[in-house]
Amino acid sequence: MSVKRVNFGLDRFSGLYLWAAFIILFSILKPGLFPMMATVHSIAAQQAVSAILGMALVVPLAAGTYDLSVGATANLAAVIVIWLQSSQHWGVAASIVTALLAAAFVGVVNGFLVTRLRINSFIATLGMASIVSASQTIVSDNNQPVPPVSSTWSALTQQNFGGFQVVVIYVVVIGLFMWWALEHTPAGRYVYAVGSNPEAARLSGVRVNKWIWLSLITSGTLGGVAGVLYGSLSGPSLTFGQTLLLPAFAAAFLGSTQLKPGRFNIWGTVLAVYVLATGVQGLSFVTSAQWLSDMFNGVALIGAVWFAVSRQAGAASHPIWRMFRRRPAPPPGTPEPAGLDGEPSEVAGSPGT
Amino acid sequence: MAPQLTCSAGRGSTSPPALHVHGLSKTFGATKALDAVDLCVGAGQVHALVGQNGSGKSTLIKILSGYHYPDAGGWIEVSGRPLPFGRPGDSRAAGTRFVHQDLALVRDETILDNMALGEGFPTRLGTIRRREAARNARAQLARVSLDLDPETKIRQLSPAEQTGVAIARALGREGDAVSLLVLDEPTATLPERDVDRLLDIVRATASRGIGVLYVTHRLDEIFKVSDAVTILRDGRRVTSTATAAITRPELVAHLVGRQFEEAAGARSSAPPAEGASLLNVARLQAGRLGPIDFTALAGEIVGFAGLTGSGREEICATVFGARARRSGAVWVAGRALPGGRPDLAVARGVAYLPPDRRRQGGQMDMSARENLTLTGLGGVTRCLMVRRRLEIAEARKWFEILDVRPRDGVNRSLGTFSGGNQQKILFAKWLRRSPRVLLLDEPTQGVDVAAKAELHAQIWAAAAAGTAVIVSSSDADELVGLCHRVIVLRDGQIAAHLTGRDLATAAISGAALGS
Repeated sequence: MSVKRVNFGLDRFSGLYLWAAFIILFSILKPGLFPMMATVHSIAAQQAVSAILGMALVVPLAAGTYDLSVGATANLAAVIVIWLQSSQHWGVAASIVTALLAAAFVGVVNGFLVTRLRINSFIATLGMASIVSASQTIVSDNNQPVPPVSSTWSALTQQNFGGFQVVVIYVVVIGLFMWWALEHTPAGRYVYAVGSNPEAARLSGVRVNKWIWLSLITSGTLGGVAGVLYGSLSGPSLTFGQTLLLPAFAAAFLGSTQLKPGRFNIWGTVLAVYVLATGVQGLSFVTSAQWLSDMFNGVALIGAVWFAVSRQAGAASHPIWRMFRRRPAPPPGTPEPAGLDGEPSEVAGSPGT
Repeated sequence: MAPQLTCSAGRGSTSPPALHVHGLSKTFGATKALDAVDLCVGAGQVHALVGQNGSGKSTLIKILSGYHYPDAGGWIEVSGRPLPFGRPGDSRAAGTRFVHQDLALVRDETILDNMALGEGFPTRLGTIRRREAARNARAQLARVSLDLDPETKIRQLSPAEQTGVAIARALGREGDAVSLLVLDEPTATLPERDVDRLLDIVRATASRGIGVLYVTHRLDEIFKVSDAVTILRDGRRVTSTATAAITRPELVAHLVGRQFEEAAGARSSAPPAEGASLLNVARLQAGRLGPIDFTALAGEIVGFAGLTGSGREEICATVFGARARRSGAVWVAGRALPGGRPDLAVARGVAYLPPDRRRQGGQMDMSARENLTLTGLGGVTRCLMVRRRLEIAEARKWFEILDVRPRDGVNRSLGTFSGGNQQKILFAKWLRRSPRVLLLDEPTQGVDVAAKAELHAQIWAAAAAGTAVIVSSSDADELVGLCHRVIVLRDGQIAAHLTGRDLATAAISGAALGS
């Protein structure tokens, strides 16, 4: 797919070039439809929720941990915030706070499962995704809640702001905050250190479990934010969360090949979300096939991981990537390699001699 | 002096020797790891191969297994046939088998499944014939005098039995023509009570006409099990002799060489006469270590020596909390330090340099700068933000102090530096905290001579500044040159305390070997 061809020694910014290529291509194919400000506004707002969900994933991924439950958590938060307003007649602010607390609580449970019960995060959060979906059904009784009538509620995301819906501003604000937190605070440094080599981090005095736990609470809460915004932007839905999970992962992985290659990073992820969305949007103008976006996102996820694994020597040592690399184990009885740096271990005086 | 053995067949038979090595050399750069070594293992003979670290044992074994290619000139015959070099498959086809310290057994699988990992299951139409496989496995185990149910899981076996299974697997089926079995320190991690069991297995193997090359550090075993012994030192063969013709003191003298007169090393500073006791350890136990007690004063450099499995590998990690302690107490500057809490240890001013850089030492895909500051971001943080400028200045300063090359590489990822420079960066990561207690585990392993000298200078400087330094090293020369006193461990206990004029390589080796 498209990611394959981007190999001109411009890896860090390949996403930007790909984006430009999409824009030029679809502008030529659909000159009267694609290159319009309306398209820009619509993609920017439609993808805001995906972008926030992608950013939510970056945090635990940076700490070497999966959170497969963010989609379900977003959906739960959306259902709670709408149900509280329309069925319980709560105020907008109180409903939002409650929904976010519920989302954060999912993160707390995820953290407990991963750090205290030592369950692999992939499995723990996969299971939690199912449990969260069940909780959502308990709350909603599987009836789509009635959309709240409050104008404050819809204005939360849909208010116009320089042509863009205000939700786009939220993406920028959350992005700036998360970028600051991950790149410029000690907390962010610890999170990356844990993801890079948990044992070395532990032996440097970093409290590995604490940071993994906090990263999962952050992803849960941000997932909740994404869900609340979706509810305000698009109205109630019982199923949107799971459909957003895969594109969010595709964006996070593709994002890790961009701007700061080898690191899950905020702006790379946001860039990837919009590159992928531009591709999907453009294709939907060209053809109306229903399967396009699923196909596109699936191929993009596999392509992004393949791209990252094959292009980045440094990334190969990252625990997240190790999971994706199929490396045959040496057969039993294979002599161990010589000492580090190609020196013979005899001369280096290694133990066991 | 014991008579030198000539290379002939073992035990009165007329068949060729299992292994005949002649004039084998191997050069790594400027170092001669093996220098014209001869070795002869008769069929059915147990031949012990001993030597200290760096004596050339591992290099010899790696040439035998086809991992290293030797220098031109030497040759090896296995059962009278020349052994092609440099290809593990050829080495196996020639009838050599290896059992390494890491047995490469899957602990949660059965003996049967582990046996089949090597040679595959017997099948009919693609279906495993488990009963036949079990019969084969039982026969293979019987050949090394093991009577075990093949359906037993590996983890239910004693360590000696596990080694036995690995040997049985290496020897393969009845029809396989195995001439030589190489056992690389099979007892290094074995509890004392299990050793005799393993030695029985070794004897049973040899009695089937297989030559056994038995590499060990433990002198007792040489006299218990071997027919002949070859001693290597500095890449040369010191002697080969029948075990019955050599005494234990002679063996130790050969191992250690003429270093008895060696004066205590050229240490740059005198040990502190009186200092605050910064590290107190009482009844500490973990793994094979302990219970042991010791203290370290401010400004003192205390070395720990001992063979693999003596408890030396556990000491630094356990004091720091990298590995859990079974029992005992540690006080840092008078304050108790709980076990298994590296974060608290760091907060109390303890620093720990682990032996395995890649796995435990650093974040290889993060920059040198980020590695350097990970242990203390406080100094480069202002208003909740890590200031890039301060951080780079800090990293540059330490690159300068420790002479890290390339000097402008503070933003390069750690994995791109050479081993010596990586180690310097990891040193700096701890030194910049001015630790009270500095725990160093194999601090100069795999680094070049110049970097080693630089690191030693830094250790002295840290001690001079009042840090209590603990060095655990398998290199006795390093300990003699570096430490004020050395504690020698054997079987988890303190075997000797060496200071002043007693502190010499020979004394360390002697105490470690138990002579």
